[in-house]
Amino acid sequence: MVLDRRLAELRARIQQLTPSEARERLAVGEVMIDVRDPGELAGGLPEGARALSRGELETRITELATPDSPVMLICASGPRSLLAADDLVRLGYERVAVVAGGVDRWKHEGLPCVRPRGIDADGAERYARQMNLPEFGMQGQAKLADARVLLVGAGGLGSPAALYLAAAGIGTLGLVDDDRVERSNLHRQVLHRDDRIGSPKTDSARATLEALNPKIKVRTHQVRLDSSNVEDVFSDYQIIVDGSDNFPTRYLVNDACIRLGLPNVYGAVQRFEGQVSVFAAGGRPCYRCLFTEPPDPDMAPSCSEAGVLGVVPGIIGSLQALEVIKLATGIGEPLIGRLLLFDARTTRMRELALGPDPECRYCADESKFPGYIDYAEFCNASSLEESETND
Amino acid sequence: MIKIELPDALRSLTGGAQEIAVEAASVAEALDQLGRLHPEARLRILTRGGRVRPHVNLFVRERDIRSGDGLDTVLEDGDSLLVVPSVAGG
Repeated sequence: MVLDRRLAELRARIQQLTPSEARERLAVGEVMIDVRDPGELAGGLPEGARALSRGELETRITELATPDSPVMLICASGPRSLLAADDLVRLGYERVAVVAGGVDRWKHEGLPCVRPRGIDADGAERYARQMNLPEFGMQGQAKLADARVLLVGAGGLGSPAALYLAAAGIGTLGLVDDDRVERSNLHRQVLHRDDRIGSPKTDSARATLEALNPKIKVRTHQVRLDSSNVEDVFSDYQIIVDGSDNFPTRYLVNDACIRLGLPNVYGAVQRFEGQVSVFAAGGRPCYRCLFTEPPDPDMAPSCSEAGVLGVVPGIIGSLQALEVIKLATGIGEPLIGRLLLFDARTTRMRELALGPDPECRYCADESKFPGYIDYAEFCNASSLEESETND
Repeated sequence: MIKIELPDALRSLTGGAQEIAVEAASVAEALDQLGRLHPEARLRILTRGGRVRPHVNLFVRERDIRSGDGLDTVLEDGDSLLVVPSVAGG
């Protein structure tokens, strides 16, 4: 009865909103916080609400609202949001309201909840630490579960990218690679293991990823990408991650992404250095805006010739995974129009501004896709000799 | 003084140095100075005819010189010229 008296007192001084009124306020940008515990959220959050459990409310409320901004609280059926509202009032928040009847009434009135696929009790526990992030929350997790991401290459860049994306709960993770695991891969290609030397990288990657997170769908494409198969492979995906190890594939990936309107999360490494960028759907800029043509083969040694410190693709591939998560969830500011350079010798990162090439044959005019080319020939031709003639 | 910052891949052409100090008032002048010191390194950046190779990007004050005045981009004392070639490793 003590509690009843207290709740009655709180109802008398804290504003109560009907679910419909709360939804209208959400629509104009007001913040709604679902204060239930993470384990209670598997049934879904009111659409637009952020998850911040009552236990963390006071310590983390500033991530979502300032004391002078309006805040709506919702819980399962009402009492906890009232008690939580009182906590916020004591903290100095002046415009706190609660949703009367909580999520039960919200649902009873037919208002929408985000009920993510794949977030059952396992998911609620597995992803609890990232769903705890208010700006990520259950909505972010649901977006990852809906995402279909293709990694081109299950090697040095694809390994960390695939591990983090699988762990994060990307719903469908595809891998394209036609190579087999070699011992010289293992210092950097951490998807693979010594006892899988000789196995297809796609099989090895699948085994690792399914062991890490059996909740996601892993799809493998044991093919070498070329002009004839690239659209078939890419068309089932929403985001492409370029972790390939050769120029012909990089130009092919770029052109197919432009053609199909897919974002291309680019990474490349050599020796002690790495590069990362995101080329948005439609480009402007695209990979060709940055590097119009590949270098002459004699000026571009591969990893096997030039060498690479294993942790360098570890860092760059992890940054690619980060960019994928940002693209899939809409959180933050992706690396679009920016090139990030990493120098392992000095542990320095630099950010450079990238602009579109107004004369780019592939992305300057989206209505005129010039078609796929012979990429092997394009990358073997001596642009040096051409340039000399032209000069 | 201008600092030319070279990629790791060109270190073998400069005796191991990744930063080369030159006196120059434009990007073209800076690369000419580099060519006097390390002709092979310059040839990886510019063609013999003096054009920027299509797989190389040059940045001054974090901006691509193509969005400015290209090789005529003016350099001021203390500027860095950053050379970013395409690499394909994965």
